[in-house]
Amino acid sequence: MPFFSHCIVIAILLLLILGQSIAQTTVSPDISVIPRFLLESNDGEKLAAGKHEFSAPDFSFQELEVAISSYLNPFARADVILTLPGPDVEAGKLGLEELYATVVRGLPLDLNLRLGKYRADFGKLNLVHPHAWPFITQPLSQEKFFGEEGLNDLGISASVLLPTGDVYTKLTVDLLRGTAIGGVTGIEDTMGNKPLYSNSARLMSFFTLTDESDLEVGLSGYTGIHDPYNHDRFWYANLDFKYKYRPSSYTSFVLQGEYLLNTRTASQDHDLRQFVDANGNPERRSVTTSGFYIYTDYQFFKTYSIGARYDWSQSPYSKDDKGQAFAVFLGYYPVEETLGLRLQYQITKTELPEAAQSVNAIALQMLFSLGPHKAHPF
Amino acid sequence: MRSYITVLLVFACLAHAHATVRVVTTLSDLADLTQRVGGDRVKVDYIVRGNQNPHFVEVKPSYMMKLKSADVFLMIGMELEMWAPQIIDGSRNNSLDVVDLSKPIQKLEVPSKVDASQGDVHRFGNPHYWLDPRNIRTVVGEIVEVLGRSSPADEQYFRANAETYLKKLDAKIGEWESTMKPLRGSKIVTFHKSWSYFANWLGLDVAGEVEPKPGIPPSPSHTAELIQLIRAGNIKAIIVEPFYDTSASEQIARSTNAKVLQLATSVGGVSAAKDYVSMMDYNISTLARAVQ
Repeated sequence: MPFFSHCIVIAILLLLILGQSIAQTTVSPDISVIPRFLLESNDGEKLAAGKHEFSAPDFSFQELEVAISSYLNPFARADVILTLPGPDVEAGKLGLEELYATVVRGLPLDLNLRLGKYRADFGKLNLVHPHAWPFITQPLSQEKFFGEEGLNDLGISASVLLPTGDVYTKLTVDLLRGTAIGGVTGIEDTMGNKPLYSNSARLMSFFTLTDESDLEVGLSGYTGIHDPYNHDRFWYANLDFKYKYRPSSYTSFVLQGEYLLNTRTASQDHDLRQFVDANGNPERRSVTTSGFYIYTDYQFFKTYSIGARYDWSQSPYSKDDKGQAFAVFLGYYPVEETLGLRLQYQITKTELPEAAQSVNAIALQMLFSLGPHKAHPF
Repeated sequence: MRSYITVLLVFACLAHAHATVRVVTTLSDLADLTQRVGGDRVKVDYIVRGNQNPHFVEVKPSYMMKLKSADVFLMIGMELEMWAPQIIDGSRNNSLDVVDLSKPIQKLEVPSKVDASQGDVHRFGNPHYWLDPRNIRTVVGEIVEVLGRSSPADEQYFRANAETYLKKLDAKIGEWESTMKPLRGSKIVTFHKSWSYFANWLGLDVAGEVEPKPGIPPSPSHTAELIQLIRAGNIKAIIVEPFYDTSASEQIARSTNAKVLQLATSVGGVSAAKDYVSMMDYNISTLARAVQ
C-alpha cells in the first residue's frame, strides 16, 4: 500500500480512537442495509449473428449496500459503506466502497475536512448512490469517463462556504490518490510503486427561486495522470445543474443535467493501442471529447414517479467512439423508501468507426431498505 | 471630536444592550411564540411552512444558510425533525445554541418497543405536543430561558413579554375549553396521530386513524373497517392535516355521515392560522361546528 494510503488509514484510526476516548458513553451507530435485485432482458446478445431477439429475462442480484454512520464526537462523524456486488450472491466479496471521517465543526474558517475513501464532490450525480437514482442504469457519460464506481478514491477533502450573502456557495477541494481513473478511463498502473495523485474541485451555488422551487448549479474540475508510463495528464471540466419544483409532499418535478468536457494528451488508448500518425509512426495526441446527460423525473400521488433520460457521450480517447441512450422509467415506492420498484426501458446506440449498433433493454429493479432513512439532500 | 466619540460610544453601548438575538425555529408555531417573547429584540425565521409535513423535510442548503447566521435553533424534538442534524452540521455554525423544547414536556404514547412493523413510531413518544396549548406555557418558559441566555440584559423584557402572552393564552384556553366542554367524550377520527395531545386536552376520543399505522398509506381493508367504525360510533369528524392528501378521507366521508376537516397543525397551515392563537381558534371553532 503506498505511503499516502497508509497515512489516511492511520489518520482515520486515530480519529476513531480519539472519538471513543472523548465519548465514553457510546451510542449505536445508524446501520442501513439496502439490497437491489434486477430482472432484465435485452436484444443485444445475438447482434453478432445479426438478430434482434430479446433474451430470456434474467433475474439477478445487483448489489448489497451496508451503510454505517455515526458521530465520533461533537466535532466529527464517520461513515462506512460496504458493498457486495452482484451477480454472484454466494461467492461475492464484501468490499469497502467508502470509509471516511468528516470533521464538521471546530476548524478555522468553518472548514469541513474529510479523510478516507469516498465519492468525491464532483458534479451532481457522483455523490448519489445508485439505489437513490430514479433510474436503473448509469448515464453513459458517467460510465465512460469514470466507470461504474464513479469518482471514488482515497483522499483528503476540504470544503468552505464562500461569503456570498444569502446564497449558499460551497467550494470543495480534494487531493486524491489518483487511482480512480485507472481501470476504466485511464491506463492501469501495474507497477503500483509511484503515487499518481489527482485533484478535484467543485464550486456550487444554491438558489431558492420560490418557496417551492430551487436551483443548484455547480462547476467541477478534475485532473490527474491517466497514463502512468508516459505520464500523460487528463483534465475534466464539468457543469451541472438541478432544478426541483416541489409544491407538496405528494408531487415534485426534477430536471437535472451534467456536461463533461475531457481533454488529455495520450500516446496510447485504454486498450494500450499505440497512436500512430499517417505514416505509421508513434505519435502523442491531444484528445478533446465530451459527454452529457439530462433527465427529468416527475413524482405524483406520493408513491409514483415517471421520468426520461437522454445521454450522449464520446469516449475519453476518441471522438469517433461514441454512444447515445434514451431511457424512460417508472418508479413505485409503496411505503416511503422501505420498498422500491423501478421499471425502465432503454435504447442504447453505440457508434464505432467500423460499426454501429443499437440495443434495447427492459429492466425491473427491486430494492428494499432496512434501517433508518436519512433525510434526502437536495 | 470628543463629542462625536461619546455619541458613537453611547450608540455602541445601546446596540450592545439590545443586541438582536437571531433565532431559527423548525416550526412556524415556535417562530410565532419566539416573536411574542422576544419582541423587537429577536429576529426570527423558521424552516417548515405550516402546510408542509414536518416529518419529511428535504435537506436544502438554504436552510443551512438560515442556521449559519443564527444564535439559537429551537426544535420540537422527540425525533420529529430527523432531518435537523444534517442542517445543523451543514450550517458550520460552531456557536449555535440548539435547543430541544420537548425535554420538560409530559410525553404521550411512548412506545415500549420500536420497530418498523409499527410504522413511523417515534421512540421518545408522540411529538405533537404543541397542539395542547397547556404545553405552550412550558415551551414559552423554555424560550425565555434560551433568549435570556443569549441576551442576559434583555431577560426581564423577555419575561415580561412572556407573562403578557401567557395571560392572554390562559384566557383563550378557558374560552376554548368552554366551547368544547359539551363535546367531551365525542369520538373523532384523525388521518395521522398528530392530534393525541389535542384530544387528550379536550377529552375527545380518537376512535381510529385513516393511516393503519403512522406513515403507512391507508389500505382498502383498513378503510372498510374504519367506515364500519365511523358508522357504528356515529363519528362526525375526520381530521386531516393540510399536507396530507384528503382523497382516502373523502372516500370514507362519502360512505358515512362524517365530515373531513382540514385543521392546521402549524401556523400558516390554513389561511386563518395567522399565529398560534388564531390557529387554535380556527381548529376549535371548525371542530365544534362539525361535532355538535
